[in-house]
Amino acid sequence: MHDRLDISMRANHVLFAVLMGVGLICVALAVAMDDMFYLRLGTEALILGGLALSVDILLGFGGLLSLGQALYFGIGAYVSALVLREVPSFWLAMGTATTASLIAGILGGLIANRVRGVYFALITFGMAQVVAKVVYNTRELGASDGLIGVPVLEIPLGIVTVSAGNPAGFFMLTLAVVIALYAAVAYMFTTPFGRVVIALKANEKRVPFLGYNTWAPRMVCYVVAAVVAGIAGALYPMLRGFVSPELMFFASSGNAVIMVVLGGVGTLIGALYGAVLLTFLKSIVGSYTEHHLIAIGVVFIGAILFMPKGVVGVVKPWLERRLTQSETSSASSGDRTSGENS
Amino acid sequence: MKPILQTSDLSIAFGGLKAVDSISLSAVPHEITTLIGPNGAGKTTLFNLISGALKPNSGKVYLDGKDVTRFGPAQLQQVGLARSFQITNLFFEMTVRENLRLAAQILEPVSHAFRPLRRTGRAAQKVDELIERFELQGKMHEQVGYLSHGEQRRLEIAMCLACEPKVLMLDEPTQGMSHADTDETEELIRSLTDTVSILLIEHDIGIVMSVSDHVIVMHQGQKIADGSPAEVRANPAVQAAYFGHG
Ligand SMILES: Nc1ncnc2c1ncn2[C@@H]1O[C@H](COP(=O)(O)OP(=O)(O)O)[C@@H](O)[C@H]1O
Ligand SMILES: [Mg+2]
Repeated sequence: MHDRLDISMRANHVLFAVLMGVGLICVALAVAMDDMFYLRLGTEALILGGLALSVDILLGFGGLLSLGQALYFGIGAYVSALVLREVPSFWLAMGTATTASLIAGILGGLIANRVRGVYFALITFGMAQVVAKVVYNTRELGASDGLIGVPVLEIPLGIVTVSAGNPAGFFMLTLAVVIALYAAVAYMFTTPFGRVVIALKANEKRVPFLGYNTWAPRMVCYVVAAVVAGIAGALYPMLRGFVSPELMFFASSGNAVIMVVLGGVGTLIGALYGAVLLTFLKSIVGSYTEHHLIAIGVVFIGAILFMPKGVVGVVKPWLERRLTQSETSSASSGDRTSGENS
Repeated sequence: MKPILQTSDLSIAFGGLKAVDSISLSAVPHEITTLIGPNGAGKTTLFNLISGALKPNSGKVYLDGKDVTRFGPAQLQQVGLARSFQITNLFFEMTVRENLRLAAQILEPVSHAFRPLRRTGRAAQKVDELIERFELQGKMHEQVGYLSHGEQRRLEIAMCLACEPKVLMLDEPTQGMSHADTDETEELIRSLTDTVSILLIEHDIGIVMSVSDHVIVMHQGQKIADGSPAEVRANPAVQAAYFGHG
C-alpha cells in the first residue's frame, strides 16, 4: 500500500485530469461557437495559473508565503518581450526567460532564504517592489508604458506551426506548457528531496537531526518556483502583445496568493482551479460593474470562511478515501493472485 | 577500551546560570552510559551541547576520537550520532512509515534525491526492519499525531536508528509510558547495544540500575559521581543530592 503523501498527490492528479477534461470541452464549445474572447481569457487564466502554481510551491510545500512572486513572472514576461521584438522565436524567448528567472531566482533566494515567516513575506514583497519601480522608471524598458509591439508569433512545433494569433492553437500550447510545469513540480515533491521539503514545513527543527541540510532544499524550492513563474510569464507577451510594469506589482503577487488560497493550498492543482475561478469571476463580474473588486473581496472572504481548504479541499478528502479503498482492495486481490505487489 | 564518545570540560551558561559546568565524560562502545540527576540538573542541556543543538562556551566533544565540537546537528548525524528528544519531536501529520522513510532515506546516496522513491533498496529495507522491530506493523499508515503516547515514544527511538548511528542518545525515552511499555522499552534498549553505543537520560531509578553499564550523576550542572550502578548507589554525595536520603 502507498503512503498518504502518494495518495494525496494522486488525488491531485485526478483533479488535474478533471480540470483538463472540462477545459477541453469548453475549448471545443468555444471553437464551435467561434467565441474568441473566452478562449483568450482561458489562456490568460492558465498563464496566471502558472504564477499561482509557483506561489503554491513555496506556500503549500515550503511553508513560505511569498508576496512578491510576480517579480519572476514579470522578469519572464519582459525578457520574453525583449527577445521577441528582436527575434520572433518562441524557443529562444522561452529559453532566455527561463535562464533569466533562474538567475534571478538564485539571487532572490540567497536574500529571502535568510529569514522565515513574516520577514520572508516582507522581503519577497520588498524585492518585487524595488524591481518593479526600477522597471517603471527605466526608459529602455518602456517605463510606465511597458513594452508594446511584440509581434504575433508563428511557433513551429515539429509537424505543425501554431500561431499565437490563433486563440485555440495558442490555448493548446499554453495548456501543454502548464501540464509540463505541473507534472515536473508534482514529480519533484514525490522524490526523497520532496519529502525533505515537506518535512521542513511540518517540523523544521527536527530535520537537521535526521542529517539533512535545511538551507539547500529551501533554496532549490525557491529557485524552482522562480523558474515556474518565469516560464509562465514568458507566455504572457505572446498572448497580449505587450508587457507592463503592473505585471510585477503587488496586485499581481497578491492575486496569485488569492488564487492559491481559493483553490486549495498545498495541492498544486488548486492553484490552477483558483486561477480559472478568479480570472473568470473578475471578467464576468467586471462586465456588470466597475466595482468588481468588491465582489471578488466578498467571494474571497466567503471562501476562506466556508472552504478553508479551498475548492479542491471540498472534494479531496473524499477522493483520497476512494483511492485508498480501491488500493486496499486491489492490493488484497493482488495478494491472492500473485502475492507480489505491495 | 577506547571511548566512542567523549566530552572534556564542556560548559555552557545561560545568563548567570551554569547549566552545564565543566562536564567530562566518556562512553564505551556497545555499553549503556546513563545520565541521572534531579530535574534541572542540566542533562538535556548536555545532550544539546553534544548533539550540536547548542554551542558550548568552552570544552570539547569527541566522537570516535575526532573533534566534533563545532559540528552542527546534520553534520554530527552524518558522522554517526543520533539523538531523541525528551518532548516527542516527530512529524505528526505524516504517517509512521513516512516518518521512518524520511529518516531512512539518508542511507541512500545524495544522487538519488531526485529519483522516484523506491520500494526496494536500503531505505525501504530499513523502514521494514524498524517497523517490525518496534512492532508498528498495525500502525504504519496511521498519522503519528493519532498514535498513543507510548507508540510515539517508541517511534522516536526508531527514527534515530534509521540512519544506523554509532552513538544513540536517548533523552528520557520511557517518560510517561505505562509500566508494561516501560519494561518492553527497557528490554528493547538493552538489545540495541549489539549495534550502537548508548548515552541515556533516565528518570526511573529501577531502569537505571538494571539497564546501565555506567552511570553519571549530575547536580546543578556539575558531575558529582561516575561509576558502575552499584558504586553510584553507594556514593554518599549522590544519596544526599539525588536520592534525598543519606
Ligand atoms: N535555552 C535555555 N535558556 C535558558 N535556560 C535554560 C535553557 N535550557 C535549559 N535551561 C536551564 O538550564 C537548567 C538545566 O535544564 P535541563 O538541561 O533541561 O535539565 P534536566 O534535563 O537535567 O532536567 C534549568 O535550570 C533550565 O531552566
Ligand atoms: Mg531534561
